[in-house]
Amino acid sequence: MRALDLDYMLGLVPVILGYVPLTLLMAAAGMVCALILASLLAVERVAKVPVLDWFVVLFISFFRGTPLLVQLFLFYYGLPQALSFLTKVDGVTATIMGLTLHFAAYMAESIRAAIAGVDRSQWEAAQSIGMTQGQMMLRIILPQAARIAAPTLVNYFIDMVKGTSLAFTLGVTEMMGAAQKEAAGSFLYFEAYLVVAMVYWVIVEALSQGQKRLETYLNKAFAR
Amino acid sequence: MLKQIVTATALAAVSGTAVFAQDNETLRVGMSGGYFPFTFVKLDELQGFEVDVMNAVGEEAGLEVEFETMAFSGLIGALDAGRIDTIANQITITSEREEKFAFTAPYVFDGAQVVIKEGNEEIGSVEDLRGKTVAVNLGSNFEQLLNELDFADEIEIKTYESNIAQDTALGRVDAFVMDRVSSAQLIQESPLPLELAGKPFSEIRNALPFQDNDEGRALRDRVDTALESLREDGTLAEISDKWFGTDITKAE
Repeated sequence: MRALDLDYMLGLVPVILGYVPLTLLMAAAGMVCALILASLLAVERVAKVPVLDWFVVLFISFFRGTPLLVQLFLFYYGLPQALSFLTKVDGVTATIMGLTLHFAAYMAESIRAAIAGVDRSQWEAAQSIGMTQGQMMLRIILPQAARIAAPTLVNYFIDMVKGTSLAFTLGVTEMMGAAQKEAAGSFLYFEAYLVVAMVYWVIVEALSQGQKRLETYLNKAFAR
Repeated sequence: MLKQIVTATALAAVSGTAVFAQDNETLRVGMSGGYFPFTFVKLDELQGFEVDVMNAVGEEAGLEVEFETMAFSGLIGALDAGRIDTIANQITITSEREEKFAFTAPYVFDGAQVVIKEGNEEIGSVEDLRGKTVAVNLGSNFEQLLNELDFADEIEIKTYESNIAQDTALGRVDAFVMDRVSSAQLIQESPLPLELAGKPFSEIRNALPFQDNDEGRALRDRVDTALESLREDGTLAEISDKWFGTDITKAE
């Protein structure tokens, strides 16, 4: 058992921290795109549009049924052999797209369940004042569904932050890629991976705190 | 600012076209950044023999060198797809690669070397790899060199993205194979308990591959001319001496 090289670890912390913005950027961009896509998918699953529904079911099934790493490789290394314009897509964009598709499939199910969880009386009330289907969805149902789905969606965001670590397999130097390279140059593998693990841990803890506050805030209106 | 970046990224992600302008006075060089001492990172600074060589080439040829680091096994694909212009990562000239790419003249002369955990007395040469597990880097030509041995079917080859030296030191594999000069440097510089097993078992020559089209060949010719001048004026020998303590840029 050798002692940990603490000086090396301390020197490495700022280096890894320098890659935090890229990690958060990939996760945030992925989250925004996934939320939009997941909402569309969920609304479709509730409305059950003929034919389209079949595609949506297939989409959700595939992206939930295959590992994220496989999807990223398929997208970044595989598809460009068939569709040459995809070689123009860089690793960061490919990661964001992969995270979007993968997590949208999961989130669609949570949002769908949340929509189903909005009380029937809300639908009836909206109909009684003459709202169209679209208005009803956008103004009455989705905002309430968002409250129900929020905690779960934050969990997916946390998963997404951790999922960005796979970007290094697409040649993106993010936190994990940086740690990997530093280790290959210094041979202090344990230290390098420990530092990167700690940084992820701190980020996720901070997000979990945010999640608690968000829940309190969202439930204020419903406090009895 | 972040909001704009996120929006832009989101838009790019949705439309799927994050195309970067390609200016033809740049030379996009791919490398793994994880292959000591050819290309490695210390505290976020990319350095090594290849980095120095390419910077000298850029200066000589009047090209702006941009380094792009990615997993070694993805480098050839990236060159093929035109994401990068060349690879500076001890790329060995092989007949398969020559069919596909336009190579410069070789600028490194080296050999394939077996490396074992310190004190392992079972392996003293490549012959002793019979019945053993050997680590190589995924996509490297050392895998191929092992497969060309007449007792290849008796060796269990394990491919890695990285960390072959670490897994040998940990005793998870019996040996690893990479080039002689890097192996010698690694043993000298790293704290890992490793030693060379016997002499190099195959000669390798490294060069820079370019896409085999008009543009690629034109760029290759410019780089080749620059390499030639750097060889003549002793710059290559100097860079080699700095990293290896010997001149590996000349045929023995």
